[in-house]
Amino acid sequence: MGKKVQLIDLAWARSGDKGDRSDLGIIAKNEENYQIIKREITPEKLKAFFKGNVLGDIQVYPMDNLCAIKVVMDNALGGGATKTLRWDVTGKAMATAILRMEIDV
Amino acid sequence: MKKITLGAGTGYWGTPIDFPTELVQRADLDYLGIELLAELTMSILQRMKMRNPKMGYIPDLLEFMKIVLPFCVKKGTKIITNGGGTNPMQAAKEVSKIIKALGLPPMKIGVIEGDDMMDKIDDVLRRDINLANMDTGETDIQVIRDRLVSAHAYIGADLVAKALKEGADIVIGGRLSDNALYVGPIMYEFGLNYDKPEDIDKIGAAITIGHIIECGEWVTGGSSNFWENVKEPWNIGMPIAEFYENGEAIITKTPESGGLLTVETIKEHLVYETHDPRNYIMPDGIADLTTLKLEEVGKNRIKVSNMTGKKRPEKLKMQIGYHDGYIAELMMLIPWPKAISKAKRYEEIVRERFKKFNIEPKELRFDMIGVNALHGEVSPIPVDESTINEIGFRVTAKLSSKKEAYLVRRFVIGGALCTGPVGTAFNAPNKEREIIALWPALIPREEVKTTLTIMEVK
Repeated sequence: MGKKVQLIDLAWARSGDKGDRSDLGIIAKNEENYQIIKREITPEKLKAFFKGNVLGDIQVYPMDNLCAIKVVMDNALGGGATKTLRWDVTGKAMATAILRMEIDV
Repeated sequence: MKKITLGAGTGYWGTPIDFPTELVQRADLDYLGIELLAELTMSILQRMKMRNPKMGYIPDLLEFMKIVLPFCVKKGTKIITNGGGTNPMQAAKEVSKIIKALGLPPMKIGVIEGDDMMDKIDDVLRRDINLANMDTGETDIQVIRDRLVSAHAYIGADLVAKALKEGADIVIGGRLSDNALYVGPIMYEFGLNYDKPEDIDKIGAAITIGHIIECGEWVTGGSSNFWENVKEPWNIGMPIAEFYENGEAIITKTPESGGLLTVETIKEHLVYETHDPRNYIMPDGIADLTTLKLEEVGKNRIKVSNMTGKKRPEKLKMQIGYHDGYIAELMMLIPWPKAISKAKRYEEIVRERFKKFNIEPKELRFDMIGVNALHGEVSPIPVDESTINEIGFRVTAKLSSKKEAYLVRRFVIGGALCTGPVGTAFNAPNKEREIIALWPALIPREEVKTTLTIMEVK
């Protein structure tokens, strides 16, 4: 413990939307990374990380079969694609933002 | 073992014509899906139909049909599309004209209608059926009642399967769920039934496979983390699914195409917009995406097995569109030196102009493009601005009325342009645009009365 790496070294990610909900998929590059990601990426940490961007609840769902986790964040896109003032109306870049996250390994 | 081959010709309205063309030229498909709708599309189409009752379908559909139909007739490929939008019957009439103009043999078009719920909303509300907003939890839809633009239920594959059973060569619907375009043929070909317990996993598999291919090139190396390894993205292939009687499938792509299809690119799409992966809810069933296995079985061939699902939900999702004010927007480019400081000065000017004109925007946003427009507050702001060559500065404001939006464009943000720092490049502010907001709600399945009409084209 004590060592930190950026998520981009452990995983790939892609994101989309439904309404005002931002939906992120984080795919570990291998099984070992998956165990770290599953342990370290929690709704609380995400809430702190996306502070100011995400106003609602955050859920994390594991997908053991794909070595991936899903992150689903409510009230995250300024009201949703059709009414948001964001340039990135559907939150396609949210996944690249999360790759900046510092993870304890 | 029986198998059928399904290809995704498009994944969205705007798909370039060469993607479906190369797919039908080079692959022998049993079914071609032409998916053309996104969340807002039905509201846009509804407004087109209000201006002209003969519009309301996706215009691109006709362009696609002209090109793909001759290949599909020759190869016996049936076409399923939701490009009928808010006017599937008119779309079918236009397609029938194309069939005749091309001199193609007699064909049957199945037309699915009844997803339009606009005229039924008041009756539904009168009977106290709750249409709470799934996003916000708001329960009182009356607050937006006089601002409604459209209301459409996401419908499933039952009538797609029925149309195929009745011999349709082309099936045109409106707000068919994206993956119903693929679930329909699979249910028809393998005789699957919503009420048979032994079929539920196979329907779950059909939904999963539908999801994997429904966004077109998004699974074959488009919008990919692996972009550096994607071969000839300018010739990207569209996804093809071979679905087998045992509920397994192989995903492949347009022969001789560019793109990338690997276990990883399929994972990229399985985690994309699927929310709770154990309960991926569609009108035809609930797929569980956490049991399936992916395995590379050949070059550009990925096997998907062990797919499971649950029975279809009692309620359907309905997307209600309503007027919700206007957006005013301004963009400028700010050069070195001190680009960030200059942007801050513009922000101050715009805020003061709002005060001076006594307009309180519902929301106001400032983005520095090149700094924080995409990652928002997650973005580290450079402390040393001497190395920043230029940034884009974008101001957006949400206003209640068209008049306010006009005033903001002309005098608030428009008036900020020439009062700021030297060197800034700009055009006139964009014309204010109207917001159609969405109110997603659940509606009991039995309230949505869909119909199938078979149109014979001779």
